[in-house]
Amino acid sequence: MTPVRQAVLILVLALIPAGVTAVVHPRRPPWSAETLAPGEQKLKTVLAWGSSALWVDARSRRAYEAEHVPGAILLNLEEWDSLFPAFLDQWSPERKVVVYCDSKSCELSHEVAARLERSGFSSVYVLKGGWEAWKAAK
Amino acid sequence: MKTPFFILILSVFAVSAHGQLVFDQPEQSFKVKAEQESIVAKYRFTNSGNEPVKIENVKTSCGCTAAGLKKTDYAPSESGEIEAKFTFGGRVGRQEKAILVSTSQAKENPIILRLVVDIEDQIHIQPEMVLWRVGEQPDPKKIEVTVADNSTVKILSVVSDNPLIKAELSEVKPGKEYEIQVTPADVSQQGGATLLIRTNYPQQNPQTRYAYARIK
Repeated sequence: MTPVRQAVLILVLALIPAGVTAVVHPRRPPWSAETLAPGEQKLKTVLAWGSSALWVDARSRRAYEAEHVPGAILLNLEEWDSLFPAFLDQWSPERKVVVYCDSKSCELSHEVAARLERSGFSSVYVLKGGWEAWKAAK
Repeated sequence: MKTPFFILILSVFAVSAHGQLVFDQPEQSFKVKAEQESIVAKYRFTNSGNEPVKIENVKTSCGCTAAGLKKTDYAPSESGEIEAKFTFGGRVGRQEKAILVSTSQAKENPIILRLVVDIEDQIHIQPEMVLWRVGEQPDPKKIEVTVADNSTVKILSVVSDNPLIKAELSEVKPGKEYEIQVTPADVSQQGGATLLIRTNYPQQNPQTRYAYARIK
């Protein structure tokens, strides 16, 4: 077998497990940037909800005070006990809760959304792309 | 088939000929109590390559985790340590945080260190809020309070901050399960209460936990 054929053979052998991983691996990267993780919503969808969306800012108080989505309520894990009553005052069962943090790579929005769901709230979503997506659209 | 094996071996050596960091424990797990508030994990590494390595960036996946190191340049065979402090900030249960280490040799492909912390909450309150719709029957609703298996925490009392919404505490399974029965006097208009759940833990500064009642 020539070296070229051998190299092709190695490449083909390597492609088989790579292909299987790409199809079945539970943590494979998305094929499209538009793929939504469970509970995520695109900005366009949330904007279409209008005033029925209750915006929740899961970032730090400093980031929130610097700038936030108009009407958003600050609710982060660090100050949960003191901030949660204000969230409850704004919330009603008809409203869709949309949580955001800095960017698509931050976890805080998912953490706050998970805690709200554990507390018994339904219709809780995470804004895909977070604050960066909001800023980019404005 | 000698040539491909030669290529494989060559490629392995090609990687290690560059400076590279090898971590003793790239994934670390801890089980802690929530009142501990934070934990520090130390990731020890060695430059196992033949060239110096410069650590260009250390990023964390969460603002709750701060990572740092004393110096950035490491000669071959030199060891160092990355320290990551995870502040719980109200988080409970299993937490997974990542620390991304970018080096001069692998700028676009950072080394991923993992920190897994199981934060044991002494008390579990479920649900955190009970809700009545305006106009519905003012029937009592229950909140369950469960104490962790190996814990000796006791629920001492529950107080509602609104006299129109009553909260009664009862012990279902001694020392382990409690029930709070919440009853509004009137649900004809919106209102709410914060329920203060007083505990005996920790002894020096006993915690008060919260649950909520809302009429919407």
